[in-house]
Amino acid sequence: MVLETAIEILLNGLQQGAIFALLGIGLSVILGTMDFLNLAHGALYLIGGYAGMYFIRETSLSAGYLNSIGVDAIGLGLGFAAAMILVPVFGFIVGLLMERYVAEPFYDRPETDQLLVTFGLALIVQEVIKGMLGGNTFQPTAPTTLFGINVGGPVMLPIIGNYPQWRLYLVGIALFVIGLTYLVIEKTDFGLVVQAGTHDSEMVRMLGIRINRSYSLVFAMGAALAAFAGLIGVSFQTVSPQIGTERALIPAFLVLVVGGAGSVIGAIFGGFVLGITVAGMTVLASQWAQIVLYAVAAGVLLFRPEGLFGSKGVVE
Amino acid sequence: MSDPETDGGTAVSEGPDPEPFGGQVGDLYRTVRDHELSVVVGSAVFLLFFPFLLVDGLEVVNGLLGDPGIGGYEGLASLVLIYGIIVVGYNLLLGYTGLLSFGHAAFFGTAAYVTGLVSSTTEISFLGLSATMPGITSPLAMILFGTLFATLLAWPIGFMSIRRSGVYFAVLTLTFGQMLYFFALGPGAGITNGDNGFSDLNVGELFGFINLDGLVPFVGKMEYVFIAVLFLLALTVANRIINSPYGLIFKALGENEQRVEFVGLNVFRYKLMAFVISGSFAGLGGSLFAIHEAFVHPSTALYWIQSGDFVIMTVLGGTGSLVGPVFGAFIFEYISNVISGTTLPVIGQVGSLWRLILGAVFVAIVWVFPRGVYGGLVDIKNFIAGQAVDALRSDESSPPAEPEQGGDD
Repeated sequence: MVLETAIEILLNGLQQGAIFALLGIGLSVILGTMDFLNLAHGALYLIGGYAGMYFIRETSLSAGYLNSIGVDAIGLGLGFAAAMILVPVFGFIVGLLMERYVAEPFYDRPETDQLLVTFGLALIVQEVIKGMLGGNTFQPTAPTTLFGINVGGPVMLPIIGNYPQWRLYLVGIALFVIGLTYLVIEKTDFGLVVQAGTHDSEMVRMLGIRINRSYSLVFAMGAALAAFAGLIGVSFQTVSPQIGTERALIPAFLVLVVGGAGSVIGAIFGGFVLGITVAGMTVLASQWAQIVLYAVAAGVLLFRPEGLFGSKGVVE
Repeated sequence: MSDPETDGGTAVSEGPDPEPFGGQVGDLYRTVRDHELSVVVGSAVFLLFFPFLLVDGLEVVNGLLGDPGIGGYEGLASLVLIYGIIVVGYNLLLGYTGLLSFGHAAFFGTAAYVTGLVSSTTEISFLGLSATMPGITSPLAMILFGTLFATLLAWPIGFMSIRRSGVYFAVLTLTFGQMLYFFALGPGAGITNGDNGFSDLNVGELFGFINLDGLVPFVGKMEYVFIAVLFLLALTVANRIINSPYGLIFKALGENEQRVEFVGLNVFRYKLMAFVISGSFAGLGGSLFAIHEAFVHPSTALYWIQSGDFVIMTVLGGTGSLVGPVFGAFIFEYISNVISGTTLPVIGQVGSLWRLILGAVFVAIVWVFPRGVYGGLVDIKNFIAGQAVDALRSDESSPPAEPEQGGDD
């Protein structure tokens, strides 16, 4: 019984944690390299979720502007595999545009202005989606087959019995993407520049490296990861305009705080710590789950402000 | 920024001096204008006409435009003043000390709940303990309890949050606020009535004989008068703080924290005081909100979006000036309560799209007008005044004399 609960917590925690980690990596690396804090990071998750739904299946509409002008259903019905390529690409493009037209004009403005403008942007994205498609909650987009493999339905696991098979696959997919990101940051020249940028961006610039180009790439990569997190997220959770702030922005911030700004490994670790915390508390005392989540973040921020993995220099 | 820069006692004026009047009348005008209380007295006069302008004035405009539904209604005036109190206080924190808090809903919401709870006779329970609420229905006592509680809450939250700066300060205030929100929704439901909302408010008579629902000729309900008086009180206090050496230190903190520290002042203490003061303003607003709405729900009182709304109002109106944020509160409440019910030519039925309009206006303001609507109005006024001065001077064809009002020590 105890073992059963523990395994269930671990599995749920891994799913939630993988999404938190994907979100946290982008936010953390963007803050670490360019000192830009993006409150619209949750909006990228939201965009990823809705774009995923659009690419994967046809969804019938019952409210919103599109419905009022006679559109009954939207979606391309390309399936999940296609969405796994298209959504990150879409997120990447959105990220490039956002860096060029929103972030760049604010690099030299005070931190408060950056927070305010991205906060407003997050509001706009959420409201545009709500206005277009209505505030309804849509069903998750879990696929039944992926690359010819059956991923739907339950699977028999030892000890805990039947478990939705897709939830295991999604953890695998997310871990693969997280691992890939980690390798890019750790093993490539691009990653080296990014890492150097988190420590001392001025020095990197003086060495003659065109860090601005890396900046746009980092921003776009973070956006692609957040959009991918959105795609994974809506495959097992419902879709509504609020998910950007409730399920993405605030958790991503907490991950940032726990993991430390600018640290990829910290974001991954922080994501899983928080994911398992939430999953555990949801099973043990669901009313307190969110409160404990915030308390963990506040505790880290107060007693270890550089995060569990961050370098001390990043936090003033 | 619009204040004259001083350089050790001598006023340094930049550009054309926007003071066309000389002589006794002009001096009198300037004396009255520069008196600290003039802004409070001016506001008082305006508040007398505010409901009339909002309801009857806009009704006329509405009629002229062919009834698009842009007229105000009576309760809106009270709502604007309630949020006005909050943002005047919030501005002391954001506009002066430069601290961006995303957790002021905590003080607003807690005060609202406390105000409601002390007035009710319900039985509350938490972790097996239970108590019966006292049922104090005097509005002043209710507000006192609510505001006091919010102030006491702001102390520890501020004490912890101010240890971090910038983004981390914002995240910490957000986490504390969200903890309270989830507490009110879940574990604390025995006290707050959770997701059903708290509606057992009993508002008695003010001083034992004034009914807040009673009518006052011309201005409307007695409740409005009550709120307006408290608004003026809050404005006076904030004005005193801003014009005191204490407030000057707040401003200095916003401009260069390190220098303030080098001068030998205790930065932490001043930041904490700014936080606590703004928290008690939010508490006063929350208490009045509870009395005005007679209903408190976690999502309208404690959720972080509410904190975000305070930020939007303050920035929209203009940080760093006493009354600027109140303009923001007005614009915000007008868009959310009136524009949301209208049908616009291009968009059609506005409905829930009001937040989109608000978001767009907000981003535009942050982008091009960091000093907000009020800052923009001041700039326009100065520009026109400057033009007028230039015109007068060229008429007199006298050399542009240095203004005689120079060293008012």
